[in-house]
Amino acid sequence: MKLLLIEDDATIADYLLGGLRQEGHVVDHVADGRDALSQAISGSYDVLIVDRMLPGLDGLSLVRALRAAKVMTPAIFLTALGGVDDRIEGLQAGGDDYLVKPFAFGELLARIGALARRPVQQATETVLSAGDLRMDLIRRTVTRSGVEIDLLPREFALLEHLLRRKGRVQTRTMLLESVWDISFDPQTNVVETHVSRLRAKVDRPFDRELIRTVRGAGYKIDG
Amino acid sequence: MADTMAAHALDLLRSTPVRQALGIVVLMTVVTVSTTGVAYLRIRQGLEDALQVSLDQAAAGFATARTTAELEQQVRAAALVADAEKRIVAFLPVNGQAVGNATARMVDGSPELRAMTEDHNLSDHDYDLRVIVDARGTLILGQSRDGIDELGEVFFGLITSSLVPTVILSLAAALIIAMRSGKRVVRIEETLVRLTKGDMHARVNENPRRRDDLARIGNKLDRMALAQEQSVAALKQVSADIAHDLKTPVQRIAVLMEGLRGRVAEGSPESDLVEQAVSEADRAVGVFQSLLQIAQIEGGSPKGRFRKVDLSAVVATFADIYGPAAEDSGHILTFDRQGSGPIFVRGDKDLLGQVVANLIENGLRHTPVGATIRLSLEDDGQLVIFSVADNGPGVPEAEREFVLRRLYRLERSRTSPGNGLGLALVAAIADLHDAALVLSDNAPGLVVTLTFDSC
Repeated sequence: MKLLLIEDDATIADYLLGGLRQEGHVVDHVADGRDALSQAISGSYDVLIVDRMLPGLDGLSLVRALRAAKVMTPAIFLTALGGVDDRIEGLQAGGDDYLVKPFAFGELLARIGALARRPVQQATETVLSAGDLRMDLIRRTVTRSGVEIDLLPREFALLEHLLRRKGRVQTRTMLLESVWDISFDPQTNVVETHVSRLRAKVDRPFDRELIRTVRGAGYKIDG
Repeated sequence: MADTMAAHALDLLRSTPVRQALGIVVLMTVVTVSTTGVAYLRIRQGLEDALQVSLDQAAAGFATARTTAELEQQVRAAALVADAEKRIVAFLPVNGQAVGNATARMVDGSPELRAMTEDHNLSDHDYDLRVIVDARGTLILGQSRDGIDELGEVFFGLITSSLVPTVILSLAAALIIAMRSGKRVVRIEETLVRLTKGDMHARVNENPRRRDDLARIGNKLDRMALAQEQSVAALKQVSADIAHDLKTPVQRIAVLMEGLRGRVAEGSPESDLVEQAVSEADRAVGVFQSLLQIAQIEGGSPKGRFRKVDLSAVVATFADIYGPAAEDSGHILTFDRQGSGPIFVRGDKDLLGQVVANLIENGLRHTPVGATIRLSLEDDGQLVIFSVADNGPGVPEAEREFVLRRLYRLERSRTSPGNGLGLALVAAIADLHDAALVLSDNAPGLVVTLTFDSC
């Protein structure tokens, strides 16, 4: 993927550049808001990673200017500001996602992946599958190797979310946002407990593990 | 309505100007009545004395008559020029007809007067009488007391005619002043209430041309509020700066830890250390995040985004999301709600969710294994009551107020996780929503109750 990193802190920028390149992405970096504007308009990027506090032109105005110029490249904000208002402001300015510092690199990577490949599996599909697991969305049933698995509604929703994004890492906060519609991170490890319940039903009785933990990031079901 | 009007009237009567006016009225009444009273008594005494002197002189005049005929003649002459209503001159000889302008019958030694002619009615009048009895007969001299009796009426009229208008005028003036200054006092009170509630923009805004005591108090209050607002703003700026300046290095630490994590073997002791360092950095961030959020909420900025929120759906979501976590830690988490329809309040969905989450986490954290955390929600049409009750050790009554403060922690909970900001955040969010937050005893345990207005 071709990414543009707009970040003025050299340490963080270096680290992110290294990490993203290691993941096989092509990354350009600018440290100034005004430079970023021309760069983002001229280059064809898949995702913009925008720090909110920038010299020259702040991140919020930058994205607003881009949207006004009909540049619709997905943008993810990185910010030290983490208030409720700040998040909403970011999304209203035309940002597509919002990550509060400090964040885990895995979280950023997962969110970039989600932004670049926005359209998830067609909503019209009636059956989702992974390996020997089948989910029937009409009859609301799940079977694995032909054995029916009894899931609670929330477990069903969680599994459906992971299946629709097969092969992509879903972080705890991404799951909280999409499955429960919660935009803050509770202190207790609530997502872990739900995933472990799901695993107890979906994975434990079978020999192969479908729901994998990605260290430092989240969970995924392999494609 | 009548109650509030009565209360308003009572407030008015309690106001300083009205009380001062009442005091002045009482003082003035005492002074007027006493000075007029003394004057009345003196004048009356003078009149009494004059009356006695006049009777004495008349008696002395008649005493010069040597014979009965001479006396009768003198009485007749005096009666000719005396009006019987004012002055009585009568002689009742031992033998013969009464002469003078009145006749009398002696009853038990005192005379009962009757007029000589029909056009006078003497019973209406009050006289001072001198009765002189000798061998010739009885001489009755009388002087009317009408003048003295009228004097009382004159003085009473004098007091009422001077006092009543003065009392009415001064009371009316006091009421007008009380009402006018009352409005200004109310404005000062309202400003103080708003400032106490955290509305830093509240001001009295006295008319600058006024120079009286209320204006001075109002101006000083405004200056105090401005100073407070400025220091709060400075504090906020400092907090934001600190948060930003500290978050960047913490981000760098996180970034470096991430790099380190990639270089140590999974499961090794070094890897454990890295994980611990990462989680400590996360906790530091958590504290910053909460402090910043409380500051932002107390600033009141999210209020503009308030919508109608189905609180029952919010509570249900968090009851659901914390269900497995509660079960894993050996707790029982239940949600009892009234009816099945939505229960609406006006507010911010994310913040209300945070309240529910923090209260559940608080319950899970500070109660032992086996404890029950009961969420309940009801709507009586006017108020929406959300409560979280546990049967854990509870919070001592004396400390309930303190646990709502930021970074305050009960001594015994120092060792349990949490950063002492959960309930402070709940209090800030409750305040933002004008919801009453009450901590009470669940005997045993703690009940946290939030009361919202229905919408």
